[in-house]
Amino acid sequence: MSRAVAPGRADARAVYALWAVFWGFMTVVEIQDHFYNPYVRWWEPWLWQASSALPTTVWLILQLRVDRYSQFLDRPLQWVLQHLKWLPLIAVTCISFMYLVRHGAYALVGRSYNHEPWPFVLTYETVRVALFASLWLGILFAFRSFEQWSLERQRLAQLQRTLAEAQLTQLKSQLRPHFLFNALNTISSLMHSDVARADHLLAQLSELLRSTLRLGDQQLITLQEELQVLRLYAQIMTERFSDRVQLDWQIAADTESAQVPALLLQPLLENAFKYGVEPSRVPVRIEIVAQRLEDCLQLRVRNTGTIQPRGGGGVGLRNGQERLRLLFGESACLELRQNQEWVDAQVMLPWRVPAT
Amino acid sequence: MAGACDMIRTLIADDEPPARDKLVRWLGEQPDLELVSIARDGISAAEAIAALSPQLAFLDIQMPGLSGLEIAAQLEAATAPLLVFVTAFDEYAVKAFELDAVDYLLKPYDRQRLDKCLARVRARFGDGAARSAAVRAARTQVQDCRRLLVPVGEQLQLIDVDAIEWLEADDNYVHVHAAGANYLLRRTLADLLVQLGEQRFVRIHKSAAVNLAQIQSLSPLFKGDYELLLRDGQRLRLSRRYREALFARMGR
Repeated sequence: MSRAVAPGRADARAVYALWAVFWGFMTVVEIQDHFYNPYVRWWEPWLWQASSALPTTVWLILQLRVDRYSQFLDRPLQWVLQHLKWLPLIAVTCISFMYLVRHGAYALVGRSYNHEPWPFVLTYETVRVALFASLWLGILFAFRSFEQWSLERQRLAQLQRTLAEAQLTQLKSQLRPHFLFNALNTISSLMHSDVARADHLLAQLSELLRSTLRLGDQQLITLQEELQVLRLYAQIMTERFSDRVQLDWQIAADTESAQVPALLLQPLLENAFKYGVEPSRVPVRIEIVAQRLEDCLQLRVRNTGTIQPRGGGGVGLRNGQERLRLLFGESACLELRQNQEWVDAQVMLPWRVPAT
Repeated sequence: MAGACDMIRTLIADDEPPARDKLVRWLGEQPDLELVSIARDGISAAEAIAALSPQLAFLDIQMPGLSGLEIAAQLEAATAPLLVFVTAFDEYAVKAFELDAVDYLLKPYDRQRLDKCLARVRARFGDGAARSAAVRAARTQVQDCRRLLVPVGEQLQLIDVDAIEWLEADDNYVHVHAAGANYLLRRTLADLLVQLGEQRFVRIHKSAAVNLAQIQSLSPLFKGDYELLLRDGQRLRLSRRYREALFARMGR
């Protein structure tokens, strides 16, 4: 919401300016209308206009400040109806205010405000308020739609930026000499003891690099696709740290077709190795869990150990959190916390399956 | 055992089994090398070096507990084994060792490269300068030494350098007084002070140095000497020969 203020406020100024021009024009017309009428004093048109402008301005400010119907913007009729349901209240308030002020002001200068009989006034003013409100609702609708559109465009740009960032981080981490050359050294060592395994590992390393190089701009992929790349990485790392890591995959069968943001889990597993396994002198267990919890998909990457103070944040975690926020708003989260002897990275996503 | 004396007693330290296997396999084939210890992490490597005093050590740089560079930085320059660093990364370290260390191996390396390294090791074997150069190079890499490796019984333990109150020389040994405990290190005070950095520790007389942060007060004695009171209540004498240096450091 706070991010929406910046573009929204600039546009609201345009609406207020339009409003000022509109009332200026109305006042000029009113004054000119009675200019040569000897029975009308100079201040009367001003009073009439001001007493109408004041309550309607309050209405406009309320409209601009309180934005409750943006979710109906893609259904214009609904949007208008939602606003119109307030019309009786607005009409009653505005008309009462107008006539109260006018009667009061005339009484103060010792005159009486003469107008048509009440039934006529009420009907006439109600129609006028309705017409007036419809005109301005049209303008507000255009304004709100523009605001929504620019927000959407901004969100999309952010989303693409975070995906690009995630891809870059991925690429960097796989071309990081520490990962790449240690992986190659593992293969170099295996070649002398187990040629088939060395060959297999070489193919996996190539597949991992290839999958990173052909990353598309798809935001959401299936969990199965995400896990494929994750498994390649995991096998290379397990080979390197074979004597002190044990990996456990607990993937519920029905979750494989669920949609997840691309490259969400990779950095979490990388962190588990980087901050969990690599600095540890004792064996470490890593669990990768995926399960459906009612309308949510729960993903966890957890390792035994304690959260390292400097490893708590990290680019991967922050990027993941930002992408989840952009993709799912408040309905998704990514948290890293200490859970007894586990360092637990937990993702909750709305359950989504691609349309077939 | 006749030939054993001529063998170069060698230690290998790497936390990744395949990397270890590769070194064990190839070094094991060398007729003049004897593998005395194969360590899986930094602390056990340092313990093995202290216990077995190998003449040659292949140290992986990134290891849990203590990195290869940290191990090297904690060694007494004069008695350190010949060091070969094995690493997959860290161009800075590599740059330093191009100048100073006996050699470094970049992973993955092949047989030819290892043979070249071993030839260099054999050529420099009697050369004491090579050892101290490697230790020096490691110390410049591990700037700001925050932890010190001290013996506790049979094992080594890392203590916080900030917790050290003062150091007391005793021939070729140093008593490290830290948090109420006393550790005996087989090092010279001068060498230890180089490792700990002169920012934090300063000599107060010929055979003692104090952690500046632990000084509570100073009071003058006769003939320009001073008495130092440490935070833990310990009183030490500041000899006038070292007085000016200490005052300068304390900003007086």
